[in-house]
Amino acid sequence: MGRLGYRQLTGMPDISTLRDRSKGSGRGGATAKQVREPKNWRPFLLLIPAFVVVSFFFLAPLIDVFYRSISDPTLGVQNYVWLFTTPTNMVVAFRTFATSLLVTVVCLLIAYPYAYLMTVVSDRTRNMLQLFIMLPLWTSILVRTLAWLVLLQDTGPINGLLEAVFGIGPLPLIRSTFGVALGMSQVLLPFMVLPIYSALAKIDKRLLPAAANLGARPVTAFFTVYLPLSRPGIFAGSVTVFILGLGFYIIPALLGSSKEIMMSALMYQQISGFLMWGHGTALGIFMLATTIVVLALVGRASKGTNLFAGRGK
Amino acid sequence: MRNHNLKRQLNAIALGGVATILMAGCAGGTETPPVADRDLGTPVAGVVADGVFDGVTLTYAASGGIFQDGQRDAAWDPFAKISGATFLQDAFDAGKLKAMVDSGNVTWDVTNATQFDTARGCGTLYEEYDYSQVDISRVPEGTITDKCMVPNILYGLVLAYNTDAFGDNPPTSAADFFDTKKFPGKRTVSQSPYVDPQTVEFALAADGKNVNDVTVADIDVAFDKYRALGDDVIGWTSGSQAQQQLESGEAVMGLVWSGRGYGAAAAGAPVAPMWDEWMIMVDSTAIPKGVKDPQAAFAAVNFYLGAEQQARMTELTSYGPVNVDAKPKVDATLETWLTTEHLKTGIAPNIDFWVENYDALSAAWAGWVTGS
Repeated sequence: MGRLGYRQLTGMPDISTLRDRSKGSGRGGATAKQVREPKNWRPFLLLIPAFVVVSFFFLAPLIDVFYRSISDPTLGVQNYVWLFTTPTNMVVAFRTFATSLLVTVVCLLIAYPYAYLMTVVSDRTRNMLQLFIMLPLWTSILVRTLAWLVLLQDTGPINGLLEAVFGIGPLPLIRSTFGVALGMSQVLLPFMVLPIYSALAKIDKRLLPAAANLGARPVTAFFTVYLPLSRPGIFAGSVTVFILGLGFYIIPALLGSSKEIMMSALMYQQISGFLMWGHGTALGIFMLATTIVVLALVGRASKGTNLFAGRGK
Repeated sequence: MRNHNLKRQLNAIALGGVATILMAGCAGGTETPPVADRDLGTPVAGVVADGVFDGVTLTYAASGGIFQDGQRDAAWDPFAKISGATFLQDAFDAGKLKAMVDSGNVTWDVTNATQFDTARGCGTLYEEYDYSQVDISRVPEGTITDKCMVPNILYGLVLAYNTDAFGDNPPTSAADFFDTKKFPGKRTVSQSPYVDPQTVEFALAADGKNVNDVTVADIDVAFDKYRALGDDVIGWTSGSQAQQQLESGEAVMGLVWSGRGYGAAAAGAPVAPMWDEWMIMVDSTAIPKGVKDPQAAFAAVNFYLGAEQQARMTELTSYGPVNVDAKPKVDATLETWLTTEHLKTGIAPNIDFWVENYDALSAAWAGWVTGS
C-alpha cells in the first residue's frame, strides 16, 4: 500500500493510489470518482489544529476588533470618519508605509549580495555566514536597539569619533529616519537573506556560463537569466520584511523622534493612553486593509512566481 | 493496514482539537466564592491584624522598575507577611484595565494610576473608596483629588539641568526652559503615549499664566511653545529614556519626573533640579471597578499609608511619602530631589479643567507626539 506522500496531500494522483483505485472499482461497481472523494478529504483533518488555533487566537479577535471599530462608542462609521479627517493619522500612515518600504529596499540591497556569497563559498564558510545572520535573532530586540541608541546618540562613540578625527559636529544619526531605518534593517535583515538564499541556492550555476557561451556579457547574463530566476526569493523576502516593518514600535520610539513615530505607536496611544478603543481598532483595520491591498498589488506584479514556497519554477 | 493507522491518528488529532476547545471554554467559567465581611475595627494607617487575610491573593499593578520594587518591599510584602495574604505584582496598562473591567474579570486589586486617570474613570474604571476602611488622617493636605483614590506618591515634573553646562548660572524659572539663547543646548520633554496635562501647564506657567485660568485655546499655545524650540527639543517616550538622555548629556535640560532626575544624579551624572517653579504630581492608589475582595484591597491600601511604610518607600524609590509623619532617612543626593521639601514653589494641576477638556487635550497631544 502506498505511503501518504506529498502527492496525496496535494491531491495529485500517484501510481500507488491509481492502482488501489483500479482494484476498488471492482467492488460494487463504484465509479472512480466516487472512490476518490473520501481519499481526498481525510488529509484535511490535519488542518484542524491549525484551524482551531487560528480561529480562536486570530480570527475571533479580528472580528471583535472590526466590530469594535464600528460600534465603540455607538454603532456607525464615526471612527472611520475620525480616521480619515484627522491629518495626524494620514501623515503617520503614509510615514509608516514609506519607512517600511525604505527598510525593504535597504534590506534587499544588503541581502542579495550576501545571499549570493552564501551560494558560492564552501560549506564551512556558508555555515558561518548563516550563523552571522541568525545570531541577532537570538538577542532581544530591545537590547539591540538600546545598543544602537548608545552608539548613535550625539554624545556617543560614533559622533565622538567623527568630531575628533574629521572635526564634523554631531550628525543626526539618532532621532532621524536614518537611525530608524538602520535599526529596523538590522533586525529585519535575516527575513530577507534567508528566502533569497533559498531561491538562489536552487538556481543552476551552469546557466551563467551557458549564457556567456551564447554571447551574453556578465551583466546581461545576470539581469536576463540570474535575476529573473531569483524573483521568488526577492518577492518572498520583500513581502515579509515590508509587512513586519509596518508593525514596528520600539525602534521608531527609541531611535526616532516624534517625526519618525509609526502607526503602532498611534494605536497604542489610542488603546492604552486615551482608552479610545473605537479609534484604535479603526486604525488597526485600516492598516490591515491597506496592507492587503498592497499585497494584492505585489501579487499581481509577481504573477507567475510562487510567493512563499521559495521554489523556482 | 497502514491506512487504518493513519485514520486512527487523524481521528485522535481531531479529538484532541475538540478537547482543547472544550477545555478553553471551561477555564473561563471559574467563579470565586463571595467574600464574607470581616470585622476589622477602625483602621489605623500602617496596621493590619495577624492572619486576617489568610488564603487571600491580592495583585498590585504599577509601572515597574525600582519604583514598584520599592513599594513592594516597603508595604505589600510586609502586609502579606502579617495578614497571611499572598501579594502578586503585575505591570499596569490602562488598556488592560479597561479590558478587565469590560469583561467583568478583574484580576488586579490595587493599581497605581495618575490623578487624571482616576478623576476621569471614577465609577466606571475605578471603585469609589470607602474612606471608613482607610485611615486618611495623615495623608498630606489636598492630595485626595477624587473619590476613587488616595495618594500613592508625591513627586513632580521638574526642570532638571546639567550642572557642567549651567552650574554657574542655573535656570531659575519655567521660562528659562524656553530660553535657548541664555541656556543653549538640547532639552528633553515628554512625548510618551500617555497624555500629560502638566507638560502643557508648565509651558503656560512659563508665560506667566495661572493654571487655574487655562482655556482650551491655551493648549495649542503650549505645544507651539515647545515646537518653537525646533531642533533644540527632543522627546522622551519613557521615564528610563528621559534618565538616559540626562545621564549621557544628550540633553542639557529636561522636563522629567523627579525620580528620573534623581536616578540620573544617583548614577553620578551632573544633574540638578530647579525648584523655583515646578509641577506637583500626585499619583493615585486606585482600586479597579469590580474588584473581587474590596475589604482586603482597602486594608492593603490602609497598610500602605503607614508612616513607617512611607518612609521606607521613599528611601527605596526617591518618591515623596504620602504620610506627613514619615521620616525617611535619605542621603544628600536624594534630599535635593525630594519634592516634599519644596511644596511652596510647586504648582498643583487644574484637574477639573483637564478632565472636562480631555478630548481636546488628547487630540493635541497625539499631534505633538507624532510630529504633526
